[in-house]
Amino acid sequence: MKKHWLRIATLAMVCVACLSCIGTTAAAQEFPVAERTLKNGMKVLVQSDHSIPNVALYIFYHIGSRNERPGTTGISHFFEHMMFNGAKKYGPGELDKAMEANGGSNNAYTNQNVTVYQDWFPRSAMPLIFDIEADRIQNLNFDPQKIESERGVVASERRSSVDNDNAGLLDEQLWASAFIAHPYQWPVLGWMSDIEHWTIDDLKHHFAMGYSPSNATMVVVGDVTPEEIFQLCEKTVEPIPSHAPPPPVTTVEPPQLGERRLVVHKAAELPLLMIAYHVPQTNHPDFYATNILRTILFQGESSRMYQRLVDKDQIALDVSSSVEPAFDPTLAIIVAQPKQGIDPQKCEKAIYEELERVKLSAITDQELEKAKNIRLMEFYHQVRTINGRANTIGTYEVFDGDYKKLFDAAKNYAAVTKEDLQRVAKAYFGADNRTVASLLPDNEEKAKQ
Amino acid sequence: MSVSKKCSFVLIALVLIFPAALSAQSIHIATHEKVVFKNGLTVLLLEKHGVPIVNLAALVKTGSAADPPGQEGLASITAQLLRKGTQKRTAQQFAADTDFTGGSVEADAGADFSTVQAEFLNKDLTHGLELFSDALLHPVFPQAEADKLLAQSMDSVRAAKDDARSVLGTYYNAYLFNGNGYGRTADGDEISLTKIHRDAIVKFYETYYAPGNIILAVAGDFQAAEMKKKLEEVFGQWPSKPVTAVKIPVLPPVKGKKLLLIDKPDATQTYFAIGNVATAAGDPDRVAIRLVNTVFGGRFTSLLNEALRVESGLTYGAMSTFDPRKAPGPFGIYSYTKNETTAQAIDMALQVLQKLHKQGITADELASTKSYIKGQFPPSLETSKQLAQIIVIDEFYGLDDREINDLEARIDAVTPAIAQQVIQKHFPTDNLVFTLIGKSSEIAPAVHKYAEKQDARVISEPGFWPPPAQK
Repeated sequence: MKKHWLRIATLAMVCVACLSCIGTTAAAQEFPVAERTLKNGMKVLVQSDHSIPNVALYIFYHIGSRNERPGTTGISHFFEHMMFNGAKKYGPGELDKAMEANGGSNNAYTNQNVTVYQDWFPRSAMPLIFDIEADRIQNLNFDPQKIESERGVVASERRSSVDNDNAGLLDEQLWASAFIAHPYQWPVLGWMSDIEHWTIDDLKHHFAMGYSPSNATMVVVGDVTPEEIFQLCEKTVEPIPSHAPPPPVTTVEPPQLGERRLVVHKAAELPLLMIAYHVPQTNHPDFYATNILRTILFQGESSRMYQRLVDKDQIALDVSSSVEPAFDPTLAIIVAQPKQGIDPQKCEKAIYEELERVKLSAITDQELEKAKNIRLMEFYHQVRTINGRANTIGTYEVFDGDYKKLFDAAKNYAAVTKEDLQRVAKAYFGADNRTVASLLPDNEEKAKQ
Repeated sequence: MSVSKKCSFVLIALVLIFPAALSAQSIHIATHEKVVFKNGLTVLLLEKHGVPIVNLAALVKTGSAADPPGQEGLASITAQLLRKGTQKRTAQQFAADTDFTGGSVEADAGADFSTVQAEFLNKDLTHGLELFSDALLHPVFPQAEADKLLAQSMDSVRAAKDDARSVLGTYYNAYLFNGNGYGRTADGDEISLTKIHRDAIVKFYETYYAPGNIILAVAGDFQAAEMKKKLEEVFGQWPSKPVTAVKIPVLPPVKGKKLLLIDKPDATQTYFAIGNVATAAGDPDRVAIRLVNTVFGGRFTSLLNEALRVESGLTYGAMSTFDPRKAPGPFGIYSYTKNETTAQAIDMALQVLQKLHKQGITADELASTKSYIKGQFPPSLETSKQLAQIIVIDEFYGLDDREINDLEARIDAVTPAIAQQVIQKHFPTDNLVFTLIGKSSEIAPAVHKYAEKQDARVISEPGFWPPPAQK
């Protein structure tokens, strides 16, 4: 009931690639997906669902903050904003006006790996949407005045989700400390000084680098047929020429050789704790075992960590963990909200003890089955709307290389054994592999100075 | 971490629960059945097949408006404790049994009503129903669990104050209603939560959790006839008892202007709300209000967002909402901007409001908004969870399926002249309440001009409004 303002979901980042189902429970549903690769290289996936007269269209561009360089950090996200600020046919402000007047709405998100554009519309608006998407992939315009006002928008976004948000601030510091070589070290929003200094040429360079049709995947789900989508693509998107994809990200993060610790002092009512462990990328075979382990430890009030920190020791309000889909080795992040006056190190100690307990003695059969049931329910949550299905199909296609892996997830989760869980706990959740970030409240006198 | 083009606008879809309909093909809600059991329990059944999930939503017609003065948070604490110990299960057993199915049982309270919601795969329905009814019928409110939850809730209020966005609405409502009616926080505050004891919780449950005071909606993958039988078995024997409806005070709009500045010394951005007391649920003008508010501050190309974000870059988002309830609820304009541009952004929001009154809305804006609302409506009826919530809330507010089935016609009937009347009647101009959270030492001088009456608090001080000493 906390209305009106949406928190950037750093505390509860939802892993969209965590689907499951096992032999002993009901099988996850399959649904037919039609696919075609256009002559210019863009992959198009279509799933018909006529239950509501609406359509969700996602375009995943395989470019994100990992493709950036120091000095222009955050340019992928800024560019995402500029994709709404005018092209050849639809000038500044016209894209949103045209879409809304035809019953549609849109949004977009950028992360370290991809930039994703989302359109939600009644099927009557379909020709318009394809016209708009083709216009901006092809003929984006960079109006200097729009660049300046949008710079202010992004600065405001940063002030809200980092400067005035303790979780956002600590999360940013955590990534910056856990990575010393790989581009995952800088924030998706960019450092404020970079936001202030991007130029029109930086934007043009980013467009040329990332926005070739061959560097994109389109997913359409809803009241459509594959034939009509492919026909629309032939007319609007297929004629757009492709060019070279972004240069590969070759930097490999060297292994972490010991614990790293950082502290943020800030005026705050409560402290905050984040612990990050390096884990493999999404398409790694250990992905499924790691997810099951995190489910057993963190998900639900019967989870080991909740029982220990929130219920029994009563030292935290909440404890959770997240891993986001990633092309490169990434972080599993644990977030604990200590109660007022509780030293975050007390929470740390309890978390480490629970991790050690998993390494030493086996998870129970009951816990393993529970985790698989939770994953099954999550699968249905992800695919029960046309919007969720478009995002899920696209995420599997982009991060696992094939949307069909979505239907293998059941099998992959079923294959996870108790021994796998102990193995991944030992392999990834050790002291040398972790970065610990604590936000400690300044005392009030200091805040007033 | 992932960042979006327009986060604040994603939320609008969640906040507005008014239904609309489609232009091309008219949207209708699936027919559903209403049964009233002998003990007074109202049951609504809506079958939706395809995804093997069943959603249950029990609405208890009493919410935080029934919290005794000084014990704000009681309804919410009572609801949250339902699954923290029953005659059969400890809190830990309840969580383990629920989690094992992958399903959930959740409960909380708002001003007008409390809710207990559950979700299960249909294969676990019998077990799920048993858990859901165990929480509703047999809670025992263990002292230790009450102590734990109260301590956690207290810290949750403090944690919320670390994020201005998450408490702006609470301060605004408290100040707008001057701590009366909807100005009392449903979650409680640092002081009221210390005044809540187990006996009050038990009394609240015993007084208000009665079949005649509950509407239960079930939507999803089941057969209605069979479900009705199961529910009869589970809830049919629940003894009825009379419940007196809690009177929610009808408070008039605030006269004149007043401003509350909450000091957050580390803020680099000011978060503000401007508005007044507005409409109740079921207001005869509700469809026209929704249309006009969508033009004004309810979508990305709204007048407010165009001015404050798109054209000037002052903010990441500006919006307005009506929050209609049993009695008149708040209308508010909400936005934020860096400290230095606080007055500039507020001036601009007020100019947009003035312009709305002077120029009204154009025929094009009205037509675009009609298409927009109709086009965006169907996904709000897509899941069994959404459907269960919509039918149970409509039933509570005395609304029916025409809210959905006739909405297209109701939208089409709104003319520019009707829109103009709605602006004059429902959008305040001269009488305005301002609530700001920001760094006082930097912004106070610039914002004094907005109101004759000025109030101030520091965010770390306990409570919201009025200050504890004045209560």
